[in-house]
Amino acid sequence: MANAPARWDLDIDWVSIGSGLGGVCSAIVAHDLGAKCVILDKSPRLGGLSGFGGGEVFVPNNYKMRELGIEDSDESGREYLDFLSAGFRDQDLFDKLLATCNEAIEYFGREAGIEWIAIEGLPDYYHPKVKSARASGRYMTVDLFDGSTLGEWQGKTYAMTPHVPPGALHKEMYAWGGLAKVTTWDYELVGQRVAEDKRAMGPGLMAYFVKAAVVDRNILAYVDTPVRELITDDGGAVIGVRAEKDGQDFFVKADKGVVIAVGGYDHNREMACQYESMPDWNSAAPPYFDGDNIVMGTEVGAAIAAVPPNNLAMFYGYNIPGEETDGSPLYRASWECGVPHAIWVNKKGERFCDEASYKDYQPRLRQWDGQTQTMPNLPPTLIFDQNYRDRYPLGSFMPGQEIPEELCVKADSLRELAEKLDIDPEGLEKSVKRFNENARKGEDPDFDRGSFSWSQRLVGDFDYPNPNLGPLDKAPYYGVKLVPVSVGINSHGLKTDVHAHVVHVRGQAISGLYAVGNSAALRDLGAGYQSGTSNMRAITWGYIAARHAMGKD
Amino acid sequence: MAVAEYSTSTKLPIETIWNFVKEMDNWADLVTGYQSHEKQSDEDSTWVLKGDLGPMSRMLKLQVHITEWNGPTRVTFELKGINELMDGHGTFEMSSYEEESEPGVHVAPAERKNFILRLLEAIARFFVRLLSGGAPERAASADAGPGAGMAKLTFKLELKPGGPMAPMIDSLIKPVILPAAEQLAGNIMARLEELHGTER
Ligand SMILES: Cc1cc2nc3c(=O)[nH]c(=O)nc-3n(C[C@H](O)[C@H](O)[C@H](O)COP(=O)(O)OP(=O)(O)OC[C@H]3O[C@@H](n4cnc5c(N)ncnc54)[C@H](O)[C@@H]3O)c2cc1C
Repeated sequence: MANAPARWDLDIDWVSIGSGLGGVCSAIVAHDLGAKCVILDKSPRLGGLSGFGGGEVFVPNNYKMRELGIEDSDESGREYLDFLSAGFRDQDLFDKLLATCNEAIEYFGREAGIEWIAIEGLPDYYHPKVKSARASGRYMTVDLFDGSTLGEWQGKTYAMTPHVPPGALHKEMYAWGGLAKVTTWDYELVGQRVAEDKRAMGPGLMAYFVKAAVVDRNILAYVDTPVRELITDDGGAVIGVRAEKDGQDFFVKADKGVVIAVGGYDHNREMACQYESMPDWNSAAPPYFDGDNIVMGTEVGAAIAAVPPNNLAMFYGYNIPGEETDGSPLYRASWECGVPHAIWVNKKGERFCDEASYKDYQPRLRQWDGQTQTMPNLPPTLIFDQNYRDRYPLGSFMPGQEIPEELCVKADSLRELAEKLDIDPEGLEKSVKRFNENARKGEDPDFDRGSFSWSQRLVGDFDYPNPNLGPLDKAPYYGVKLVPVSVGINSHGLKTDVHAHVVHVRGQAISGLYAVGNSAALRDLGAGYQSGTSNMRAITWGYIAARHAMGKD
Repeated sequence: MAVAEYSTSTKLPIETIWNFVKEMDNWADLVTGYQSHEKQSDEDSTWVLKGDLGPMSRMLKLQVHITEWNGPTRVTFELKGINELMDGHGTFEMSSYEEESEPGVHVAPAERKNFILRLLEAIARFFVRLLSGGAPERAASADAGPGAGMAKLTFKLELKPGGPMAPMIDSLIKPVILPAAEQLAGNIMARLEELHGTER
């Protein structure tokens, strides 16, 4: 396929399609190696999902943890990620990622002014059950970012996201009691930071990178400019893109390369249900993730690759009626299930997982019953009691605030609640009785809830002997039906090689075409997930792709 | 507490404005983010508005109670969040133009004016100028000649979020409350003038 236009609107060296970490990091590196770059984004803002998320970047044995004197080693990091991959990784990609992630992080710290911090006190997901997991320091994030330094881009980037608290650093959050204790945080300080546009977490992280690219380096960037098609020459090499700008075709010639960094297919429901083998699909992401990686890639012959979807980052949650982001319903992941006085049950009223560890609930929700041809744990229902309501929020609903009935069903007894929610009443009563007896002792012999340090740190209430357990014994009772909520990390993506080159269905690399971040299949990490690996691989492969395109590797 | 005050002027007589403003149904849909409203009595009504809160939009259900109904110069009201922890109050004030200062945007002193608020003020000022056909001072002297019968509508709104997150919500709503006040006052004038064929 050769579809070059008669005239190019822009002739440049490097095109980043997408302005999340993958796109921006590759543009920064390409620029630093002498290339003229452009970043094109479909949405009205720069920063992508990277700027809308938690902003954790998982880098074992990183230089900031070493500065803090936290012990780690490359071997131990490798062992941990090997455990996560569960045998589904591509060895070459895995090796390359691990060999480069620290170099990339340090490069951006040194050359792009990213104020990295190693997060103290946030344990790896599988700590303490897996020996190579660490209790602290492997997650990196950034210090507060001053939004006013973005100039004209200040209003065209995410100052905050509904998914994480605005303007608060991890260490502050932990000092204030963590997510379970949001009622007791220092909101005077948070309010001041919001007013001053001091950004943290995802919005902060991405603001540093965007500033390094479009302010400090003056890299060209266009928002509201979706790329619709890749342009190839007669030999099938990618030589540019056709974007849409102000309603017109906008042809950009890329002499050194094009990177697809558009994330995945979270808002392409049909594609998502098919690839993820799910009957339903919703997303926490803003509505710009339409599977353009798959569409544009396969159009030029790219192979699609996949890892098992069982245990990737994926949540269950809800939409608060009326809540939207950029005109699309906003879905929130439900963290409530890991907090004391709350459980999940299936239609039989049975618990089926460690609700405080989404790595445990994810595969159990996907369980298939061949006898009944059903997924017996779908849909899960969140059940909690008045103890919970007295202490903790549900989404944005603080204690004392009415929760709309469309979202949350309320009843004076568990039996009545079960009937209202179409759950087996005996099953629910029995499950709660058993859960309560054990929770009072701080135990969960059925699913070992509260046994991961990460669950305790993230949603636990440290006023309790087991921070993730508390009985449901105070009426009224409440129930919320949950739906799948993806965070943009998909099981299928474009197949890439050790240079981040997209691989053709015939096996060769497609000249001029790279894919990074969530657009690239997760073969580098395999079947598991750990918060921060997504951002880490976007940064690292962005770095690798640009260096390769500029002849450095 | 997020506070906004916005004034705009018209050649229409004050009674005309009052006749329009006193009937809520005339202007309800001009409120920023209007979804629906329901009148329980002449004093009480419930409203559903869609508002921006940082990176997302939310449905806000409010109970509005009129506390002073003093035509044709003043209406005051209180509001209370039904689904959000929020209280507030506001006024519509109508006066003859000559007695008052020039039309313009006034934002009550806010302890923490962020950049967005400052930017929005500037934008609002620009629109006032545009609407009044030039710089406010010139518009005032050129249009408000003796007997020109100009009237001024001022809309004030104060919102006070409640609950533990109040200071944070306060910072989030400050940037949106001024444009909301501006939009309502401006929209009311525009509709009135459309109805009565008058230009500012
Ligand atoms: C609530 C939440 C929290 C998260 N927290 C973390 C975390 O703490 N750590 C972590 O590692 N990961 C986290 N993630 C996931 C993480 O945000 C993403 O994995 C990461 O941002 C991926 O970066 P990326 O480079 O693939 O692109 P993205 O940041 O996803 O950006 C892709 C960009 O491409 C644009 N685009 C799409 N189609 C086109 C097109 N056709 N043309 C032009 N532009 C296009 C989009 O508008 C978007 O701006 C979180 C996700 C969510 C939803």
